[in-house]
Amino acid sequence: MAKESFDKEIQFLRMLVLTSGAYSRQQFADRLGISVHTYDKTLKRLKDIVATTQQALPEEQGKQLGDMLRYSYIDAADPMLLFLFRAKSIKETESERLSLLLAAMDAEPLTAGELLDFCCTHMPEELSLPDEKTIRNDLKYLEQVGVIRKAGAVRPYRYAVNNELLQSLTDEELLDLHDFAHVMANTRVPSIQGYLLQDGLKKHIARTMENSEALDAFVYKYHYYSRILDEAHLFSLLHAIQNRRKISFLYFSPKKPASYASKNTNPLFERDTAGQQVTTIPLQIVYDHQYGRWYLLGHQARFGLKKFRIEGMTEIAWEDGDTVDEAPFQEMMSELELRTRYSWLIDTGRTVTVRARFFNPGPGAPNFIKDRVLRQGQWGVITEENENSFIYEIKVNGTIEIKPWIRSFGSSCEVLEPLHLRKEMIQEWKELQRCYEPV
Amino acid sequence: MNPFEKIFNYQLITRLDDSGTSMVTAQERSWLKTMLQQPEAEAAFTPETLEKLRLLLEPASPIDFSGHLVEKAGNVEVQVYHPLLRPLRRLIRDRAAASLSFSAKSGGIYNKQLGLPYKLEYSMVKKEWYLLWYHLRTRRLMSTRLQKIDSAAVHPQPITAERYDQLQAEIRSKLEELKVSATVEVVREYNAELSRILYAFSPFEKEVLYDDEEDVYRLVLSFSRGESEYMLSKIRFLGKRVRIVDNAAMHRRMYESASMALARYGVTADECEGDAAAEA
Repeated sequence: MAKESFDKEIQFLRMLVLTSGAYSRQQFADRLGISVHTYDKTLKRLKDIVATTQQALPEEQGKQLGDMLRYSYIDAADPMLLFLFRAKSIKETESERLSLLLAAMDAEPLTAGELLDFCCTHMPEELSLPDEKTIRNDLKYLEQVGVIRKAGAVRPYRYAVNNELLQSLTDEELLDLHDFAHVMANTRVPSIQGYLLQDGLKKHIARTMENSEALDAFVYKYHYYSRILDEAHLFSLLHAIQNRRKISFLYFSPKKPASYASKNTNPLFERDTAGQQVTTIPLQIVYDHQYGRWYLLGHQARFGLKKFRIEGMTEIAWEDGDTVDEAPFQEMMSELELRTRYSWLIDTGRTVTVRARFFNPGPGAPNFIKDRVLRQGQWGVITEENENSFIYEIKVNGTIEIKPWIRSFGSSCEVLEPLHLRKEMIQEWKELQRCYEPV
Repeated sequence: MNPFEKIFNYQLITRLDDSGTSMVTAQERSWLKTMLQQPEAEAAFTPETLEKLRLLLEPASPIDFSGHLVEKAGNVEVQVYHPLLRPLRRLIRDRAAASLSFSAKSGGIYNKQLGLPYKLEYSMVKKEWYLLWYHLRTRRLMSTRLQKIDSAAVHPQPITAERYDQLQAEIRSKLEELKVSATVEVVREYNAELSRILYAFSPFEKEVLYDDEEDVYRLVLSFSRGESEYMLSKIRFLGKRVRIVDNAAMHRRMYESASMALARYGVTADECEGDAAAEA
């Protein structure tokens, strides 16, 4: 079954933050495969959410969404794209009712009947009043998402807000918890729930603390903040994997110009989508730290192991009964492990040994070259070393994925083997030298 | 876990905020429980707080990845938490001046320097924490590795609110002064790899310009002068896909880098000219 998907919003935001201002409305819409009208509607909706959650000042309301989301390093205290996960739409009556219920239970534990009375007296006049069944359903939902709990075992049950976590901690402990959530959400994956927790803690602390803007003490250099857009799919994919489910989705290779296709209700305007319908058995999710991107590795009937960029996956769906037996699943997993054992990222090409000489920065200087090789060189090892240089050796599947890393060291690295990689590097440096020739 | 639960809805959250109601969902508790299993937790809390948290989270279940989530090409974690992180963040919260003793890159040792700490910065590449602070005597912006700080004490004389705001404004303007920019053009034949290129530059402040007549993308990157070397390594990482078009110093550095790399391979300047002539 497909859940309500936020594909359009995700693709929209990704294009907005990655291309920051490059496209006109029409160009933007064309590249997303939507109409300008849909573009305007989506933009307005997202802008509303940002303005509400960030409580923008009136003079800021005229601002473009792109400007509201413009990345500024030193001010990047809050995760800019978190608002996407606040986009689930609910009716005004429901948000009013749920917030009233929570506020009432926060004051004291109450029964369903008492809560009904409370709602009926406190709901704004223009909104329709709930009945007992609605209240019971609300309580069931709130209990299920863990924000309330039954207080005691005596009927009729009393319900209380389940925030012992906040109430049992001292101010200083809450600060430590806020910081821990901040640091871990920014440096680890997954992070959505961590960001949500941090956001809640920040507001909670701000209610009791002076100088609450001074809570924003941390910044993270070279952080791929847009990675949380793809995290949206992480949990449904994990769920499918854990339940050995086949999934199907519409795949847009990131190399193709369009990245989404609207489903037009009017068949006259329906156009061919550039996407490709794919069915696969998901096996593993890979997060690539080099670019801050996510991949799905899956098994496909005729092709065997297949790799997909999660940013290109839309309309992910599954049939409840369509599962794979454990034995073949484990076989696929073993094949995957065998074939990706030496993948720098996900390449399953022929395994080769790369040997490269790295040159130390010179006597007296801190050896940042060696530090970096040790930090980023994955399972490679240093086999020889003298005062000027060292030799690093690694077995990898293909050389395409490791090459950018090697190139980033500039003249501090010389590839020794394999010969074809050495020749390619020479060729590339020649081209770069020509390209940067002084005029 | 559905990250799009209606309980996270923005109107609901705003209403709760207005009524001063706090809540924590099961998803958030699961995440927290998962993260508390990491070694960083030991350094992030006092032993008593950690014990308390573990007890409070006993009913929660951690997120189960069962080996299906793999991270690749990352940096080896050195220290996500540092013992000085907790006291220093409190100095920042309290808007206090600090007396700092530390050793510099050059090897020099500095004692009891008076400064205003303003941010704690974690480098995702170096996997290290830095204290960003403003030196009150020299009026310079400082960045000191936490590992190099021997002591950080609250300076007994508090900073008034006005003085604090004034210092913050000075910090802002100095940060602006330190900014440089470079325009990087995506070589048109690599436009199909635009997404990869944009991802690679996404951690930077930037503006993207698109010339639809020529179908050319240009990225105007803005960064602190001290980060030029990192930016160059990023540009070398992408190789022929991009080209610096306006920053003369970086342009020159790329030329030097290519020439020196070729020298490592024993390729002489003559040989390169020969190649170019043959192609022409």
